[in-house]
Order: sequence, then structure tokens, then C-alpha cells
Amino acid sequence: MKRTILVIDDDIDLVEIIRLTLENEGYGVIDAQNGARGLELARERKPDLILLDVMMGEIDEGFQVAYELRKGDNTRDIPIIMLTAVADQTGYAFDPEKDSDFLPVDEYLEKPVSPRRLVDLVRKHLPPTI
Amino acid sequence: MERRTAGAVAQTVPEPIASESAHFVSADSLRLRSDWFNRMRWIAAVGMVAASLLAVEFGGVVLPRLPILLTATVLLAMNTVYTLRNRRVPAVDIRAELRVVKLQMVLDLLLLTVLLGFSGGVENPFHFVYIIHVLLAGLLFKGGEIHRMSLLAGLLFTAEVLGEATGLVPHHHLSSGPEMSRDWRFVASGLAAFWLVLVACAYLSASIMRHNRTIKDDLVVRQQQLMAADKAKIDFFRYVSHEVKTPVVTAQSAVEAVLAVAGADMAEKPRDLLRRTVERLRQATEIVQGLSDLTRGPLHQGQDVRDVNLNRLVATLLDGQQTLVESRRLRVEVRLPAEDVLLRASETMVDKVLGNLISNAVRYNRDGGRLIVEMHDLGDAVRVSVADEGIGIRPEDLGRIFDEFYRTPEAKAASTLGTGLGLPIVKRFIEQMGGEIAVTSEPGRGSTFTATLRRS
Repeated sequence: MKRTILVIDDDIDLVEIIRLTLENEGYGVIDAQNGARGLELARERKPDLILLDVMMGEIDEGFQVAYELRKGDNTRDIPIIMLTAVADQTGYAFDPEKDSDFLPVDEYLEKPVSPRRLVDLVRKHLPPTI
Repeated sequence: MERRTAGAVAQTVPEPIASESAHFVSADSLRLRSDWFNRMRWIAAVGMVAASLLAVEFGGVVLPRLPILLTATVLLAMNTVYTLRNRRVPAVDIRAELRVVKLQMVLDLLLLTVLLGFSGGVENPFHFVYIIHVLLAGLLFKGGEIHRMSLLAGLLFTAEVLGEATGLVPHHHLSSGPEMSRDWRFVASGLAAFWLVLVACAYLSASIMRHNRTIKDDLVVRQQQLMAADKAKIDFFRYVSHEVKTPVVTAQSAVEAVLAVAGADMAEKPRDLLRRTVERLRQATEIVQGLSDLTRGPLHQGQDVRDVNLNRLVATLLDGQQTLVESRRLRVEVRLPAEDVLLRASETMVDKVLGNLISNAVRYNRDGGRLIVEMHDLGDAVRVSVADEGIGIRPEDLGRIFDEFYRTPEAKAASTLGTGLGLPIVKRFIEQMGGEIAVTSEPGRGSTFTATLRRS
């Protein structure tokens, strides 16, 4: 059975790149272009992993989605990989260990998204099939 | 072998000069001047006592020693208070400092008048010490204040002289010659000369300082304009770099994804073309990133400052170059101190500095050449040198390699992928951290870049 990954990102091209890459690795991909739709899909479909962009419509929309996911009974255990360009824009590099207090995600993936790095990170948290 | 050292002057954003100050950048700089006045006052008080004693002992002058000594004692006591205040009260408010200095100057003028009263009045040639106070007022205060201080000096002296001339104030005759203090022609000519010099000095002093202030105000305005222009430039670069980078990196990721998914099934030529496209897009990303880094130094400085483990960082950076090192059969020699060297600095900046030096040493080395990374802990600084045995740099190019976008002909021939921004970033970041970068090179034999990273 295919593992399902939810991609929440408002950059349609990037979503398609991620879809192409991950489907080629045997994952199923669903997507949402904003945080609200992403939360809905997460609750309805219970994906095995979520790829979440930090900055969508609002500058911290990804943060808010992460908090909501961690609050929900059905979603709190889903691994989250956060896609960021924060280091590029501010010079501040997120660290999953040090920043877990205020940002409850499992990994950070800096943009530009390298397909190889993406696959490695996803595999680390989720083998392609059960 | 040519050696060139890039400047070690840290680039700092200048603070705007406080507009409320008359001539001083800050209360601190006024305090320095006040300290200087206090030192002068010690000399004046001691000189006053010495001069009166010498005049009495060796000049045959009859002077009231006790009142003069008392006046000197009062001056010494007041100066002690001024000195203690300067040591104990921090200079915070420039207006408060100016008020204190003004009060001190008024008291100095009063004491000078008292002293003249005990030492000959208009007959005493030292009455021109008033003029020195007028010049000092010119240094310290704005126009109106200079004239008020001059008027006070003139009135005090005039009152003293007229008081003696009319007999209201006792006169202490300085010489054995005729007493001049009641000679109205002498008194009038003496006062006229005094007022002439006083008014001229006040006017010239105020004019010079007004001119000086106009230049300074102009400089302040220009400085603020430059700072605003610099900020606009940085904001523009940041905006453009983000807006350009986003589509470029998306295109790069898309081509990489296509190659990863379908590359194996493609014919060799189109696959190779796509690979080259990825390299070109990566190069474009690096240029945009480089421009962004060049304008973002101060931003990095304030962020991610931590104790950077340089031993570990060098190992990580070399590890990142491993594929290229192996493909070019480079022999890597690492000479680091046995104990981890820590440097408190922006991790991003140190990473970029050493990362650029190491990747250059790999990129511009010869196949099979040596790459030597050496580090010395100097206590107040850490010196890291990165040496290669590659193309080297011609002496005439050594002065240009830190210029933005400049690439030597040899570098262009060796690699089409450089951006010409790596070394400018290295130099900029090192200077912002208060360090320096030096390079020695022999064309065709290799180069050694030495970065000195200061701990302060």
C-alpha cells in the first residue's frame, strides 16, 4: 500500500516538482495551496507525512498550520517536514532540536529543494511502502 | 611571490551626529574637553601662586599674599569638585554637560576678576587671560552664548578697573613707578584696547565656529542621505535577489526532478544538455545569492552568533568537497590544533569565508595537486590558511581578485562556473568581523589565502 504525503505549498510549480519526484519513488502525493485547505486534508485523509511551506499567504502561515496539526488528535503524530527559505532571506538557519520549543516540526528542508535531499529526508521518516 | 593584504578596517554604520550638540558629537567628547580644562585649571592655579610668590620675592612687588593664596585655594577646591564630578557622574546628557561647563567658565571669570583685583588690576598684563576664556567659549558654545560670555568678561574687567579708578575698590600697585590705575587716560586707553580685542576675538571665534558648524551640519545631512541610500540599495538587492532567485531555483529543481525521474531513459545528448542547464541555473542562483550576501553582512553579524567550532567546520566543509576532491585526485593535508578551536562569531559568515576559500582551492587546483588547510590559534585571533597547487594568480591580478565579478583569465579558463563574488564576500565578511585576508601566489604554482579572524 502506497504511503501518502500531503504537500502544503502555494507554489504550484514546486508542488508539481515534489509530486514528480516523490511519485517516482513510490509515494502517493496530495496537495493543498493554503494552510486552511491543508488542515482540512490532513484531518480527512490522515497522510503519513506532511511537507509544509513556512511562508504562504501569511508570512507565518506554515507556523500556524504546524501548531494546529500538533493540537489535533488525528494529526499530532504525523511527521512534518518544513520547507523554508528563511535562512536565505534572514541568515537564520532553523535547527530541529534547538527550535522545537516554538516550532514543533521534525525536519527543515531549505529551498531550493534538491530532489535527492528531499527523497533522503522523506525516506528517513517514511519508507515508501508498508 | 606577490603578497597582498586586504584592508583590515571594520566597516561600521556611522551613527548620526546629535543635532542638539553645539560642536560635539556626544556628551562623551565634551567630557574629554572638560577634563582638559580641568588639567589647565590645575596649571593656572599653581602658576598663579608661583607667579605671585616670585613677584614678591624677586620682583620687589608688594602684593597681598594671603588673599591671592586664598583665591588660588578656592580655585583648587573648585577644580577638585569638577574633577571628582567628571570621574563619578557619567556623561549622558550633552545639554547638562554644556550647562556645567558654562557655570565653570562663569566662576573662572569671577575668580580671575578677584585675582586681578589683588594684583594690580589694569596694570597687570595678565588681564588678557579674559581673552583666552572668550576663545574657549567660541570652541564650546553657539553664537549668542559666545557674545554673552564675552560681555560678562568685559563687564567684569571694566567694573574692576573702574572700581579701582574711582577708589571704590582698593588698588594694589605692582611697580615702584607712578600709579596708573587712577590715570583716566591710561584707564580709558587700556579699556578701549581690551574691548577692541575682546569684541574682535568674540566675532572671529563665533564666525569661524558658525562656518565650522555649517560644514558639519552639511556633513550630517549628507551622512543621513548616504545611509538612506545605502539602506535603499540593500533593500533593493534583497528584494531583487529573492524575486529572481525564486523562479530560478524552481526551474533548477524542476530540471533536476526531470533528470532524476526520466534521465536514465533519455538519449545522452538531451540528458547532457539538461545537466548543463542545471549547472547554469545553479550558477545563476549562486550569483544572486552572492549579491544578497554582499549586501547582507551586517544582518548576518547580528544573527546566529555562537562559539563556532572551527575544527569541525573545516572537516564539514572538506567533506562537502569530497566528490570533487576524489574526482580530481587532490591530496588533502589538514593541520589543525589538537584541541578544538572555538571562535565566537556569526556561524553563517565564518562558514561562507572558509567555504569559499576551500571550494576555490579545490576548483582552481591542478589534478593531483595538494590542498593544505592550516589553522593556528593566536589567542586574540585565529589564523586559517588554505593553500593549493593550482593555476595561481598573476601579480597584476592580485589587486583585483577581491573586486566584485572580477575573474582572472586563468580562472575563467579553468572553470566556467565561478561567479566572481566568492572572494569579495570573503573579504567583506572578514573585514566586518574585524579581521583581514592576505594572499600569496605564484602563477602556475598555486596560491595561499590566509584569513585572520579576530576574537574581539
